[in-house]
Amino acid sequence: MTPWAVKGEIDYEGLMERFGAEPITPRLLERIMRHTGGLHYMLLRGVFYSHRDLDAMLDHRERGGRFVLYTGRGPAGPVHLGHLVPWTFTKHLQEAFGSKLFFQFTDDERLLIRDDVDEGLAGHWVLENAMDVMALGFDPENTEFIVNTRHASRLYPLALKIARGITCSTMRGAFGFGDESSLGKMFFPAMQAAPCFLASERAGEPVPCLVPAGIDQDPYWRITRDAARRLGYPKPAQVHGRMLPGLTGDAKMSSSQPLTAVYTTDVPELVERKIAEADTGSHPSRCPMYQIRYMLLTEDDDEAKELYADCLAGGMECSECKARLAETVNSFLRRHRRRRSLIRSGVEKMLE
Amino acid sequence: MTDQDRQKMVVTPWEVSGDIDYGKLIEQFGVQPMTQSLADRIARHAGYIHMQLRRGVYISHRDTDWWIDEYEKGNKVGLYTGRGPSGHVHLGHLLPWFFCKYLQDAFDADLYFQMTDDEKYLFNDYLELEQTIGYTYDNALDVIACGLDPEKTHIFSDTEHIQHLYKIGLKVAKRVTYSTAKAVFGFRDSDNIGMIWYPALQAMTCFLQSDREGVNIPCLIPAAIDQDPYWRMTRDIAEKLGYYKPAQIHAKFLPGLAEGGKMSASQPETAIFTTDPPDVAAGKVMSAFTGGRDTVEEQRRLGGRPEVCNVYAYYYFLFEDDDTALREREAACRSGALLCGECKKQLAERVKAFLVDFQVKREKAKEVLDDFLIKPVE
Repeated sequence: MTPWAVKGEIDYEGLMERFGAEPITPRLLERIMRHTGGLHYMLLRGVFYSHRDLDAMLDHRERGGRFVLYTGRGPAGPVHLGHLVPWTFTKHLQEAFGSKLFFQFTDDERLLIRDDVDEGLAGHWVLENAMDVMALGFDPENTEFIVNTRHASRLYPLALKIARGITCSTMRGAFGFGDESSLGKMFFPAMQAAPCFLASERAGEPVPCLVPAGIDQDPYWRITRDAARRLGYPKPAQVHGRMLPGLTGDAKMSSSQPLTAVYTTDVPELVERKIAEADTGSHPSRCPMYQIRYMLLTEDDDEAKELYADCLAGGMECSECKARLAETVNSFLRRHRRRRSLIRSGVEKMLE
Repeated sequence: MTDQDRQKMVVTPWEVSGDIDYGKLIEQFGVQPMTQSLADRIARHAGYIHMQLRRGVYISHRDTDWWIDEYEKGNKVGLYTGRGPSGHVHLGHLLPWFFCKYLQDAFDADLYFQMTDDEKYLFNDYLELEQTIGYTYDNALDVIACGLDPEKTHIFSDTEHIQHLYKIGLKVAKRVTYSTAKAVFGFRDSDNIGMIWYPALQAMTCFLQSDREGVNIPCLIPAAIDQDPYWRMTRDIAEKLGYYKPAQIHAKFLPGLAEGGKMSASQPETAIFTTDPPDVAAGKVMSAFTGGRDTVEEQRRLGGRPEVCNVYAYYYFLFEDDDTALREREAACRSGALLCGECKKQLAERVKAFLVDFQVKREKAKEVLDDFLIKPVE
């Protein structure tokens, strides 16, 4: 059962090598297991497959230290299943390690690069998205939302310290920014980097930070690691995930193509239709229907294996598989939306 | 400094050097020269003509006449100036602030006063952020001691009050490209990304009052002419963002107690700081460069040269409000009747008296600092 054997449009191993990250080896998994008691299915299945300094986090913890978690979201629309992959894993890390989570809403970046998003709209999505985050079961006592435009004062002094050490030519190299980039775009990476050092800054002592995120975000963390060395903060560690594929066979479920994505707000009929019209693959490893289960929705290993085997043996037609997936997705979303509706006022308070 | 350096005029927001040719600057920057009728218009509203207007401190402007038009139509007008807090405040810094107080009273204008602690940190590797934030509070006391109205003055620090500034800063930052900033400020790829961002924050203040009050309010910026690139950039995008273009009134640079250049905080021995013990300040005056001759005999015979004398400059710009008395002093100097030692002694006394009084106001400012800081919009 190696869904990653077939290379899709994204060459994950290649990305890892190119970014100079390390694979999560069986030995590292064993070490993690000693800390957490068991292994999360996303680790076992290689959804999170690559890292930087994850071992150093474990060293630190073994010496009695704590580390914090940091991830985020650009609030410009509804959340889809692809977003839930890293967040589900982050929630597991928070629970397993008792870590505080900084969750950043980069509404500033959305405002800078999008002309169709204004303050009011970004504010709407911040609340909607934050409810999706908290519906996954994060500990509200141990989770801090940072909405960049609202909470700029928490980040700006740190961002300045980071920015002073990053040249424009570094930006060109890392992000392809150029002469036509706006002043805001040039500076923004410093705001995204700042939460990595927030816990250290507040504690007045080194508190390392682990960033679970899609591997596409890696250039930010490489720049942040350089800044850490200069400023004397612990270098942020990363654990890199694969992207959930889109329904129509794209390598990544993406908001820019709404038909490739199942949103948490989609009504059951729409979910059924989207899935009914989705592409399937000739092999589970190439089939988005299977990947959605394997990467996110089907935690149970036996169930996942059964589906895999049934598909290969021809025991289940694609149409039946799709119908069953739609049912799984809809029952997941029903539970998700119920939890979401119960937490609104708490989330509003967290966003103040 | 070689003769060549002396001649070469450099005027950017970060560097002012060489012999300044204001005629050339006015032409280069595309601004209007200051006129008597504009000065008179300001004076009419104030009830008197400020010493700085009489003495030609303000050499040029952009749209200041329009700003006054708006006021005369019964519309609200605002003021904006600021300070880069990289050290203590010297007497040269006070001139535009005194002038802001004059304009604030004359036009019933709110003053937004920006402390650019982020800028000083980003542009100077030797400074720590904690230092520039520290100077922000120290320098705010000087601003307050100038007698500004607590109800109408909004002092803010870029780092401490970013909450009030960031969103509108983003609007500016979205519309200015890196290549524009390179052309306007001469940035290079080796500059840091904070420097690139910073102009958005200096520009943002032009629109801050309009944004906070929800109605467009003309903004006038009294500032030294080296800050002009910021306003040119801001004027280019103002209308796209739905705001008025900011107006400016430009001050020239002030001579220090040493020869040439602007009274600069980076050469401490040339400046009198508001925090100098009055006796120390008096000592600085006594050792100042003057337009005197080599010997007493020569000076009695040839007379002094007030046009190159920094002591005279202090009288001219700060310490002799009375035009007749100033003319008499100039005549006595030129005739050789007034020698430098006596003239310096008289200035030292005035500087001492000024500092004693100012330092009391500065102490009192500590108690009312909060009243002057920017507040959230209600």
